[in-house]
Amino acid sequence: MLRARLAFLCVMLFAGAIMAKIFHIQVMEGEKWRKISDEIGLQYRTIKATRGNIYSDNRSLLATSLPFYKVALDPTIADGDLFNQNIDSLTYLLSKHFKTHSQQYLKRKIVNARKNKRKYVVLSGKKINYREKKEMATWPIFREGRLGGGVIFEKVDKRFRPFAGLGLRTIGYLNEDNYGAGLEYSFNDKLAGKNGKALFQKIAGREWKPLHNGSEVRPEEGLDIETTIDINLQDVANAALLYSLQNLSADYGSVVVMEVGTGEIKAISNLTRYEKNGKVDYREIYNYAVQGVTEPGSTFKLASFIALLEDANTHLSDSVDTGNGKFKYHDRVMPDDKFGGYGKITVREVFEKSSNIGTSKLVNNHFGANPQRFIDYLYSFGLNRPLDFQLVGEGLPYIKNPSDKSWSGTTLPWMSIGHELLQTPLQTLTFYNAIANDGKMIQPILVKRISKAGENIKSVESVVLNKKICGKSTLIKVRELLEGVVERGTARNIRDSHYKIAGKTGTAKKVKKGGGYKREYYTSFCGYFPADKPKYSCIVVIDNPKGYRQYGSDVAAPVFKEIADKIYSLDIAMHDPLPENVEPEKGIFPVIQAGLQEDLKMICNELGIANHSYTEEEWVRAQRSTNFVKWRANKVSPEVVPNVKGMTLRDAIYILENNGLRVRHEGVGRVKEQSYLPGVKAIKGSTITLKLG
Amino acid sequence: MVDTIKGWIENNIKGDPIIWFIAISLSILSILVVYSATGTLAYKSYGGNTEYFLFKQTFLVLLSLIAMWVAHRIDYKYYAKISRVALIVAALLLLYTWFSGVNLNEATRWIEIPLINQQFQPSDFATFALVINLASMLAKRQQNIADFKESLIPILIWCGVIVGLIALSNFSSAALLFLTCMLLLFIGRVPVKYLFMLIVVGVLAGIIAFKIGERGETVVNRFENWLNPTEVSFQARQSYIAIATGGIAGKGPGQSDQRNFLPHPYSDFIYAIILEEYGLIGGILVVFLYLALLYRGMVTTAKSERPFGGLLSAGLSFALVLQAMVNMGVAVGLGPITGLPLPFLSMGGTSLLFTGISLGIVLSVSRGEHTENLFRTKKKKAPQLA
Repeated sequence: MLRARLAFLCVMLFAGAIMAKIFHIQVMEGEKWRKISDEIGLQYRTIKATRGNIYSDNRSLLATSLPFYKVALDPTIADGDLFNQNIDSLTYLLSKHFKTHSQQYLKRKIVNARKNKRKYVVLSGKKINYREKKEMATWPIFREGRLGGGVIFEKVDKRFRPFAGLGLRTIGYLNEDNYGAGLEYSFNDKLAGKNGKALFQKIAGREWKPLHNGSEVRPEEGLDIETTIDINLQDVANAALLYSLQNLSADYGSVVVMEVGTGEIKAISNLTRYEKNGKVDYREIYNYAVQGVTEPGSTFKLASFIALLEDANTHLSDSVDTGNGKFKYHDRVMPDDKFGGYGKITVREVFEKSSNIGTSKLVNNHFGANPQRFIDYLYSFGLNRPLDFQLVGEGLPYIKNPSDKSWSGTTLPWMSIGHELLQTPLQTLTFYNAIANDGKMIQPILVKRISKAGENIKSVESVVLNKKICGKSTLIKVRELLEGVVERGTARNIRDSHYKIAGKTGTAKKVKKGGGYKREYYTSFCGYFPADKPKYSCIVVIDNPKGYRQYGSDVAAPVFKEIADKIYSLDIAMHDPLPENVEPEKGIFPVIQAGLQEDLKMICNELGIANHSYTEEEWVRAQRSTNFVKWRANKVSPEVVPNVKGMTLRDAIYILENNGLRVRHEGVGRVKEQSYLPGVKAIKGSTITLKLG
Repeated sequence: MVDTIKGWIENNIKGDPIIWFIAISLSILSILVVYSATGTLAYKSYGGNTEYFLFKQTFLVLLSLIAMWVAHRIDYKYYAKISRVALIVAALLLLYTWFSGVNLNEATRWIEIPLINQQFQPSDFATFALVINLASMLAKRQQNIADFKESLIPILIWCGVIVGLIALSNFSSAALLFLTCMLLLFIGRVPVKYLFMLIVVGVLAGIIAFKIGERGETVVNRFENWLNPTEVSFQARQSYIAIATGGIAGKGPGQSDQRNFLPHPYSDFIYAIILEEYGLIGGILVVFLYLALLYRGMVTTAKSERPFGGLLSAGLSFALVLQAMVNMGVAVGLGPITGLPLPFLSMGGTSLLFTGISLGIVLSVSRGEHTENLFRTKKKKAPQLA
């Protein structure tokens, strides 16, 4: 056992040596190692995931994240000479660039910080982009770099919207504490991605260097969302609305364009009057279309008429006595717009002329005994429920119930003309869209696809809210009524010979705080087009227009018309075949349908074809006369889209591009169709599609 | 209730209670420290799910305690019988690993066991088999231990082959095993002059492995690093920082910073993490636990009635504690970097399992003459107890 004890003793000695060494490291060398440890400075820091993009319907970027930089300086790093010789020129350049502080102020700030050994001075709250950063990196002191001059460029991801203010409120935003609005907020869980984590080591100043020891949790990039927004339509809607708001000096306005069959929102614009330093501007501040609940006024008469036609044996040719333009329900007088009243008119005229007395009388007579029945109709149309669609923060509609305390004897007549109830413009539009869509009510849709790097992750289908909001015969009748409004009624000022518009004007007096109505108006026009084969529905609301034109027909309807015209000219699929005289004559002139007069004349003369010109115009179009070819003028002016049908692609491109349009073409041969109709105002930079054949 | 538990323990847990206590203490500490030290590994492999390693280590610790319990129920004399077979298997496994092992940390030391997907280090098994077989051979030859031809030649051949094969891929393990064998021969009353011969055999085997093995360069580098007085290697530096910042009482469980810098903080440098998190107090306690373990192994040896039992207990406890001492010595900078795990504390499957079985065998010896056996019926037990 002696040998075993000896061995044990050896091990104990070694154990003693271990403890001695620990003691040595902790006590004798402790200071040294602890100091090294302090310098290492480790921290787990989050790596921000890149936020997903928001795209338009053709994958144009609506919002994306770009790197920007915050500029700071560690003034203690530059050595004496470098600092003293260059601080003036540096602060001069900085002050000139940022325009936030004077050169003297910046210099004082930096010099003081240097004196007090402060290692971090932010030079401006403004963030610079990559290009600016590259330029700044060449400035004195800065060009010595992070370790020589002490410049700190802190990268910050900033949201960038290539179309600036366009649809800003709908694209939305997200602030630091994850609160916001619009798509950015509503789809934050998809866009945000998942932040990663990694171990960082502190280096001088406030910089952190990733350790790359393999212990990172990689960030998960955010998903992209593809919206239904058509940037061209958005631009058109925004421009038309803005122009009108500026002319009318209105408080705010809102436009939504929806595709009838799908419920896709193709454009949504909300502009609010914004006054700063005496300058008036309109900006996207509040999403009135989605969030703003108001008394809709006459556009609501559509619902009343559907209820009437569904419930009672009402014929459009029945007559109603609207009297002298003033009708008393209990203590309240209901006026009609026409001084002296409409007298005895048909039901159809009540709607077309938007007679308040007529509408309320009809409703009161039919439903007065049992108002609940009327309300049940409104409920069955879904008008009391929010649309509950993809945007968070939708305004809640409100339709009174006879059991409510505030229900009075005058409630029913006033409700029938769109008062004492609340709707958002989008809710009204969705209802009108259902009529355009053969009674099928579809939930509006703003995001149709969620994708990652162009690959589809999830497609969103539109949800049908109500398969049929009314019977077939009612549907036919109300569509007739809506067309009648534009053909003969309050909105006949927007009647168009090319295509039919159906819709309804609305003019509501605004509710005063504490009850009663002000002499301020909330005007609107809601409708769809082309009326016989609806493709788009659209609502325009304009709040508190100034001046003497204050009715829906004068204020909102023209904006609708302007938007509809532009959409119509953009959308080739909606067009009726063109009238005969504009078409080149088919099959007769294979080569010389249209083009430069000089060229065509020469060809004909070479080939011995009799031709005769009636015009001095440079560009002509061929027309057959009895035994010769007639050259008719094909006027090309820089403001409008020229007629290029029948031309060679070369000629067409020459003319169109001279007019500032971009040309896309399909097929071979001569121009057979063009996507912008001739005579429409040429929008610079937009793309015209030519079909050749 | 208490009585039934007491009764169950009395019936089922036999052997030295202090060894049991030490084994369980180290197991608990092992779960704590490994959980903390795997912080970075978990980030690396399982997307930040550190619980994965907590559960894995807890499972392995329990498994090794169960192996220990099973091993202690078996009569230790039984191990002598199977040790020769085990040794031959070990030699074959080592050869197989050498040709087609899994390369982890630049050394082919592992083979993958199919089906359960667990990596297995044959050198652990070989060490274990050699120590048992050595104890058996020595015990048999105690009468003519001084006879060189009859007694020592077979012993030396076996030692040389196994140590040499291990040295091909894992020089430190081989050196440690060689040292353990020397100690065992020394305790087994082999004349000192023959021990010098053994050293010659060992050095020869070492040189051969050095030439044809893959670890020669590493060994030289590590020795050079260790001997260089002016420059402390990166690993040692990080380890010293851990020890120095741990102080007397440590930073507290899970508060290690150095785990982010130390390579294999859950295995090679786990002692540095213990010193950092539990301080000098924790460090001394761990050293004390290993010494106590060795002491109880010695007590078992002294009490053992048969030479085989004594040698077995001494060999296994020395193998285990020597490895522990070497690992801790490396962590505090007393030796070159070895890559040896700390028995019972480091994360790792096979190492933990063989540690458990080793202690189980020591416990089996400490029980003295087995009156009953796991594989025998209870019939025989009654008359002998009476």
